[in-house]
Amino acid sequence: MALFEARNIHKRFGARVVLEDISLSFEEGQVSGIMGPNGAGKTTCFHVLTGRHAPDRGEILLQGRSIVSLPPQRVARLGVARSFQIMNLFDDSTVLENIVLALPAFRARRRKLFSAAFADPGLLDAARGILDQVGLGGREWEPSVSLSYGDRRALEIGVALAAQPRVLFLDEPTSGLGTEATQNLAQLIKRLRQRYTIVIIEHDMRFLFQLADRISVIHWGQVIAEGTPEQLRANKWVQRSALGELA
Amino acid sequence: MQPMLQAKGLEKVYKRGSLLSRTTSFRLSADFTVDGPGIVGMMGPNGSGKTTLFELITGSNTPSAGKVLVAGRDIHKVRTDERDRLAIHYHQSYQVRHFRSLTPNLLLQPAGSDFPLVHLFDEPQFNTQDGYIGFMLDFFHRLRDEDRLVFLCVHPNERLHLEILQEACDRFIFVQQGNVTPLPDYQTLLNHDPVRTYLGNLLGGRVA
Repeated sequence: MALFEARNIHKRFGARVVLEDISLSFEEGQVSGIMGPNGAGKTTCFHVLTGRHAPDRGEILLQGRSIVSLPPQRVARLGVARSFQIMNLFDDSTVLENIVLALPAFRARRRKLFSAAFADPGLLDAARGILDQVGLGGREWEPSVSLSYGDRRALEIGVALAAQPRVLFLDEPTSGLGTEATQNLAQLIKRLRQRYTIVIIEHDMRFLFQLADRISVIHWGQVIAEGTPEQLRANKWVQRSALGELA
Repeated sequence: MQPMLQAKGLEKVYKRGSLLSRTTSFRLSADFTVDGPGIVGMMGPNGSGKTTLFELITGSNTPSAGKVLVAGRDIHKVRTDERDRLAIHYHQSYQVRHFRSLTPNLLLQPAGSDFPLVHLFDEPQFNTQDGYIGFMLDFFHRLRDEDRLVFLCVHPNERLHLEILQEACDRFIFVQQGNVTPLPDYQTLLNHDPVRTYLGNLLGGRVA
């Protein structure tokens, strides 16, 4: 059984049918990709899968359990974490503070003094462990606002990981990143893939081809192609575009 | 066996002006039959009536005269909530469903089909910077292999678009100033004088 599954999802906004009968499944321990041209409904798909928008019809299952009608915070607590195209960080706080604030152990002690949390070695160690995973070890006291764009994205992924998710969704993680930062991000995801189940929604084919175990191409609200990167890369037009023949 | 799609004496007239001095501002006329599944390339200048024709085929726009039959069913007499089981209009990246009918659904007919038979793609973005074209073409072919009828409306503005049409489509329709001309294959399309004029420089000299 797949860890996460969407079955026959429909979503429309007025006269626009954005998702029609989409079925996707993500296996535990794999990196799954959802890609499509601009405007294909990728972000709507992301919001529906992660519980922000309810689908009009269809079922979403985490480990066989329906999460489709649950509020977003409940979906998050069951282990679905997400990181957005738009950065979602506390700019005035340090790198470490951003992680600590997202730790379930910190959230559980909400009645206690905020400052006391930072005297708790257990919490700080957990937060440092996550910073190591996302490549920000040793930079815990830097204000998050001073990080480069690529490092902010890594921190944002760290914030999502702090919740110890079963599955991590990333929406267009390369958006706004330059070539080098994109490559660093790919390296980061390659390191994380051994520990997490990851779903990446992305326009950039080349980025997904180097990371994903399996990719679904969505367009016009439907899955128009599916396969391993090798299978999809074999497409004649994909090859021509990679060789720059089309431009 | 009913033809998959028939436009019979189909006409859409748009008028403008006051009640006393109305003049016809646009007239679309179509009379054609597509017997079976396939991929039909449709081209023509902007404003020539391509989208109007699509709207008439899906039943989201009402004809001034004539009718559209999808698998023998008059689309404008089918329940509005079931018309998408006969034909679907795809805009650049999403599908559009917008139906109005003065007759209540209770008095209209069922679609008689569980899935759409005719798929109309309105100017899909064939972006030459990426390889999505390939997945779109595969999708069109898959629909055809499942016995659907696919319309691919393209306003070619580079040679690559012609190459895509040539590869994907097995017949063509040219629309100009509201006149709809079916053309049986790519060579006939390129030999049709109005098409040659329309494509102009894109033909380059190597083709035809």
